[in-house]
Amino acid sequence: MPLGLYISVPFCRTKCTYCNFASDVFSKAVFQRYVDRICNDIAQAPITAEQMGGLADRTVDSVYFGGGTPTILDSSQLERLFVMIWQNFDVQAAAEITVECAPGTLTASVIELFRRHCVNRVSLGVQSFVDQEASAVGRLHNRSTVLDDITRLRDAGITNLNLDLIAGLPHQTAQSWDFSLEQVIATKAPHVSVYMLEVDDESRLGRELIAGGTKYHAHFVPDEDLTANMYETACDRLRAAGIHQYEISNFARTGFESRHNLKYWTRQPYLGFGVDAHSMLTSRDAAVRFSTPDTLEQYVAGASFNHNLIDLEAALEETFFLGLRLNRGVDLDQVAHEFDLRRLIPIIDELINDALLERQGSVIRLTARGRLLSNEVFERFLAVAK
Amino acid sequence: MDAAFLRNFAIIAHIDHGKSTLADRLLELTGSVTAREMQAQVLDSMDLERERGITIKAHAVRMLYNALDGQTYQLNLIDTPGHVDFSYEVSRSLASCEGALLIVDASQGVEAQTLANSYLAINNGLEIIPVINKIDLPSADIPRTKEMIEGAVGLDASNAVLISAKTGQGVPDVLEAIVKRIPPPKGDPEKRLQALIFDSWFDSYRGVIVLVRVFQGTLRKGQKIRLMWNGKVLDVEALGIQCPKPVEIEELKAGEVGFLVANIKTVSDAKIGDTITDDTNPAIEPLPGFEEIKPMVFAGLYTVDAHEHTQLREALEKLRLNDSSFFFEPESSVALGFGFRCGFLGLLHMEIIQERLEREFNLSLITTAPGVRYKIYKTDGEMVEVDNPSRWLNPSEIAKIEEPVILATILTQPEYVGGILALVEEKRGRQKTFEYVTSNRVMLHYELPLNEIVLDFYDRLKSVSRGYASLDYHLADYWESPMVKLDILVAGEPVDALSIIVHRDFAYERGKALVSKMRELIPRQMFEVAIQASIGAKIIARETVHAIRKNVLAKCYGGDITRKRKLLEKQKEGKRRMKRIGRVDIPQEAFLAVLKVGEDSN
Repeated sequence: MPLGLYISVPFCRTKCTYCNFASDVFSKAVFQRYVDRICNDIAQAPITAEQMGGLADRTVDSVYFGGGTPTILDSSQLERLFVMIWQNFDVQAAAEITVECAPGTLTASVIELFRRHCVNRVSLGVQSFVDQEASAVGRLHNRSTVLDDITRLRDAGITNLNLDLIAGLPHQTAQSWDFSLEQVIATKAPHVSVYMLEVDDESRLGRELIAGGTKYHAHFVPDEDLTANMYETACDRLRAAGIHQYEISNFARTGFESRHNLKYWTRQPYLGFGVDAHSMLTSRDAAVRFSTPDTLEQYVAGASFNHNLIDLEAALEETFFLGLRLNRGVDLDQVAHEFDLRRLIPIIDELINDALLERQGSVIRLTARGRLLSNEVFERFLAVAK
Repeated sequence: MDAAFLRNFAIIAHIDHGKSTLADRLLELTGSVTAREMQAQVLDSMDLERERGITIKAHAVRMLYNALDGQTYQLNLIDTPGHVDFSYEVSRSLASCEGALLIVDASQGVEAQTLANSYLAINNGLEIIPVINKIDLPSADIPRTKEMIEGAVGLDASNAVLISAKTGQGVPDVLEAIVKRIPPPKGDPEKRLQALIFDSWFDSYRGVIVLVRVFQGTLRKGQKIRLMWNGKVLDVEALGIQCPKPVEIEELKAGEVGFLVANIKTVSDAKIGDTITDDTNPAIEPLPGFEEIKPMVFAGLYTVDAHEHTQLREALEKLRLNDSSFFFEPESSVALGFGFRCGFLGLLHMEIIQERLEREFNLSLITTAPGVRYKIYKTDGEMVEVDNPSRWLNPSEIAKIEEPVILATILTQPEYVGGILALVEEKRGRQKTFEYVTSNRVMLHYELPLNEIVLDFYDRLKSVSRGYASLDYHLADYWESPMVKLDILVAGEPVDALSIIVHRDFAYERGKALVSKMRELIPRQMFEVAIQASIGAKIIARETVHAIRKNVLAKCYGGDITRKRKLLEKQKEGKRRMKRIGRVDIPQEAFLAVLKVGEDSN
């Protein structure tokens, strides 16, 4: 089965207050060593796959540069990464090649580089079309920057665009959210991602919210109910505009669903490169997941991989807590070929009874309420915690 | 040694007024401890004692002092706990002395605790030597301190000894004053044996070690003795004194103080205040003053992790080996599972036990709201004592209820009187006296229901007085009061561990505060949850925890499925650690809501 490749570039010009990802602001001196290690790992990929007990194809049908901000790297560094990928894998002609971009970082030379290396999909971290909201969380762009970037990308032939929005940002209101939704629809971008602000102690804003303080505009964050309403509004508005929901956070016009993201939810193989990058390969037993060190120091110092065998039980759990994220749901008849589902039947019945899941023939899927409470649903599929 | 050269004395002092430092200096000056052995606060051996600056267990240390008159005197320092919770132990320690040093901080003045213990000493007929400490501090005010000693304690302070225990200034005068002013013990070593037990502790090698003061006769190694209150007959295996290291000796004569080992298995067999006599030639009467100590404050103790229940029981048993004043019995709660109903002498005692359980036995505990023991007179004429809300009677069976009342002594500065009066009134206090003991010190005597003290009184008092109020109390009375049982219901199910007994007039306010605190502490669930307070079938307050709207993980972070799984596992584990009542998951901290209600009202 063809692979997905993920290249993580965890560098940013500034770190956004809501960011709970391992990205940060680093000096340019680090970039070169970082790119060195990635290139080395790409060259070593077949050996690593074998050591980890996984089966890796050379064929690749999706490449995804995520961040952080991949375009913060020098053109020559990006160039090197692309060349390494071309040399070490058989990237299919029809492959989906995505780069995540921060609006305002797309110079003419970057766009030219994209064209040269067949980048056919760009994901823009817009988050909000309301300038006050974007700047309150530390984004460096405004609405016109975004619109300008979209025009320039289209002019360069890159039309498969994703725009990210976040519901629950400081200062956001039902009205301002409607405005962002109208704007995103008006761009005619074929793919939209809608996230809700995650409040945890891994981001500055999250910590401040938990502490009940006022830094990072935390006291202007809409409450849980309003944020949930915003999400529901987004589902409705986007559907009405022909952008249907296919996953909890992802919406697309038919045929524009992200091939790369689908790999994660359908347990197809992928390899990740860079700090805290995750890979999954099929193995003789079931599957194997492995990842690189989660700090930059350890990563550039050459620390080795974390390794996690997915046995049959874990694979069964994943099938549900990943597969149910998709609107198409999980086909029990199909899954029953691979796994023993007896343990799960009463749980599924109870979740259907609680209107968190619905069943159609042999397919179960989340209800609209279940989507907003999906963690509560997924938790039930895990065997009792050890 | 001739009894004329014996001096037995105690030290009375408020926390931080310098008792332990002075004791250390006395040990040094008499050569009982060399500089090399010196460790701050030699006598407070428990970590908890050192950290908190309090004494929990008594000690008796023998020093030899060469006085200016050329004679060598045997000084026995009986170090006692100072806190009100232990006033019975203190009274027995004081009864073992002929004199006491009253230490007062020259800048702080007399505090309520010192006052109470001074009165105990006066009532026991002790010669009290006022010692004014910390005279080296710039803020020291010796005339005013003397004025307070005279005004509040009623002692002549004109010949108070002025010292700095820290620098050692004046400390030799203390030794001279002990010798000159404290009378030697009376008593005849040839008479029938009467020795008072004034403390005991459990030693894992030797069993119970008992501290005794011999009043009449002589206690000898090998002697067959009888404990007069419980009738047990034992052989004296060892006798000794602490210098401060233990030294074994052959006999303790009338007037002397020391320790005894006699194969006693638990401290409850050697009750404080009991009299030891000779089995074959017993005394006619025991020494006066024995009381069975009764716990005053009650609470349920549960482990956070139900699997630790057995460890909790073992820990409680071990602590009880050393502390007969606290009691426990198994109880079970629908909400919290299996635990223990415990009785304590007071709040400090409760805190100490809790802290030792958590620290020394590494247990994580949930304590239910502390309460008191009520006397309930039933309509059929029977009287029952109830300290557990779950055993409260049906209102139709109750003719009247009596609640324990304390007499509280509060010493403070005039500027805080307003706040304190408002507090004690709010707590249903009745004023007994109000007097200025000096121009800058007010002494209040209030009768207060103990029930109102056990929840948050100390903290509130501290906060309204910015720490400048000291409190002492003793059980004084019972009042007939209309007490009711307030229940908390979560999603219609009563949560037994949250029930409290409260005065009828306060039930509404308390109920409202409690449900609103619970609303903050109970996380949103998959469905709406009603939290109600009720008295009997009547709902008096209600709050609603709205149903959870969202719990979603969005981003996939480059396919990091492991992180997603970990978060789901953590969520599942978090629920497992909550207590499930009906269909509602209640976090541990919600069970402490009762204790926290007062915090916001400050």
